[in-house]
Amino acid sequence: MNPIRLFGIETEYGIAREDSETADPVMESMELVRAYLDGHFTRRWDYRGEHPHEDQRGFRVTELAQDKEEDLFAEQDAHRPFSFHEMKSDLVLPNGARFYNDHTHPEYSTPECRSIKDLVAHDRAGERILWMAAQRRNAVLGGRVVQLYKNNTDFHGHSYGCHDNYLVSRSINFESLVRGLLPFLVSRQVIAGAGKVGREAQERGFTPGGFQISQRADFMETELSVDTMHNRPILNTRDEPHANPERYRRLHLILGDANMCEYATALKIGTTRVVLDMIAEGFVPSFDLASPVHAIQAISQDPNLKTVVSREKGGTISGLDIQREYVQQARLVLKDIDEETDWILREWEQVIHQLEQDPLQLVGKIDWVTKRWLLNSFVQDEGIGWDDPWLASLDLEYHNLDPERGLFFGLEAEGRTTSISQEEDIQKAMKYGPLDTRGGLRGLCVQRFGEDITSIQWEGVHFNGKKGKLHLDLMDHLEPVSVAHCRSVLEDAKTPLDMIESITVRK
Amino acid sequence: MKRTNEFAQMIGSLDRKERPVDPISKPSGPGEQESGPKRPETDSPSRDNLMKRMRKVDPKQAEKYRQRTGE
Repeated sequence: MNPIRLFGIETEYGIAREDSETADPVMESMELVRAYLDGHFTRRWDYRGEHPHEDQRGFRVTELAQDKEEDLFAEQDAHRPFSFHEMKSDLVLPNGARFYNDHTHPEYSTPECRSIKDLVAHDRAGERILWMAAQRRNAVLGGRVVQLYKNNTDFHGHSYGCHDNYLVSRSINFESLVRGLLPFLVSRQVIAGAGKVGREAQERGFTPGGFQISQRADFMETELSVDTMHNRPILNTRDEPHANPERYRRLHLILGDANMCEYATALKIGTTRVVLDMIAEGFVPSFDLASPVHAIQAISQDPNLKTVVSREKGGTISGLDIQREYVQQARLVLKDIDEETDWILREWEQVIHQLEQDPLQLVGKIDWVTKRWLLNSFVQDEGIGWDDPWLASLDLEYHNLDPERGLFFGLEAEGRTTSISQEEDIQKAMKYGPLDTRGGLRGLCVQRFGEDITSIQWEGVHFNGKKGKLHLDLMDHLEPVSVAHCRSVLEDAKTPLDMIESITVRK
Repeated sequence: MKRTNEFAQMIGSLDRKERPVDPISKPSGPGEQESGPKRPETDSPSRDNLMKRMRKVDPKQAEKYRQRTGE
């Protein structure tokens, strides 16, 4: 069994200034992040834990496909009166989340969570925090002109991601992870796709017409790669565990869509966590796909779910049937393990059944079904075709974070969506990290000793103490017992030095 | 449901209606798994509200929307 369950979501948001066609997206994204601050920005994020060139397959690449573009952006950005790190404006919030400007997109990374319910609440908290920042920025600009979108495409061939991350034991070899995950990931979109009108190709534009299941499938170009902006892979191989590298990997999945439906987020993360538990138990699927990249796009392009894709050793299989094979195996391996797993298995089976029998039952639960229903209603009412450019605008507006404009929020306000988290869970997640993970500890450090923090990142926090520099190492605070001990010390300590000494004594 | 928090004040009219599906609760009895959201009533007044919201969307909004490639 995978010994520790920890997961989180990073979401890059789209940002637009509706009052200006010449607004600088770098500055807009930076200003948005800084608008969330009550005071001045102080750089505290420590980038030394980031190793995007390290590959899980046991080597280090000399360059990424995006390096040249990054260099070009750096040249373009050089004229601004801010350093690279000032433009990134990394914040760590009192709930343990990271909020910053990544590649001109405001990005919100949830704190590490141990339960699906906590993660959904923190994902929704991220939406609220982004919208609060937009409200503050709009107050300065004097109008509701900054708009934010929790989606993955600009309908001109530019995509931005929603990455899901899982702590995985290093004892599971990477080849087993790849074999066990690939068919699942190719077909996961039938549950977790956000839906999209038209077709796109990486930086080659948009072709209107039709509706597909996934926002990101058009941008998947290979099975495995360490790259994230070009040559995007179904399974990203970046080896950056943010934990003890001898004991853990971080599975960094970049193929997913950003979900508005809480239920879809819960099942996306829940089913992936279940499959990782199955792989830890030795599970391998009974087949491999002949061409995973072709398969992910073919499945996406058929919202009627009839398309079949080729297996490597002959025969074909549909996306729904791939998912069915996984859930049936999961039932055998993981039934009655715990209540959360039972919930995931039960809902997973139910969704597969409903997608097959009557997908409209999933309006408000699964994003692509919901969006398709909305757009289809509009097409019929207005008597327009599926290639009408209005539909791309409506697709975009489904993801708008403005509660008075966003189409998903319109549905939610009318009680047509299914919630996983209560309003109080979301409010709490905006202020506090999970009680049982190091994400909560990180947030507690910010709450209690924020002014003393000199640098901070996923794996630890540095403080200025009266007797010199201090370091709280979060690398090994992964188990609930260890987190609970550290939390009690943090809550009682009067200074960072008190805290560090108490933790050292307890060790 | 009335809320007094900062976000609720800012968003004014939005009232989040919750139909929780608790990911750690077991079914209470036979038939619960059939209790998903009902098929949308396509001629209900609320559908008209949604259609109004959709008609307000600028048909050229997506054409004007440009982003840099992200990760």
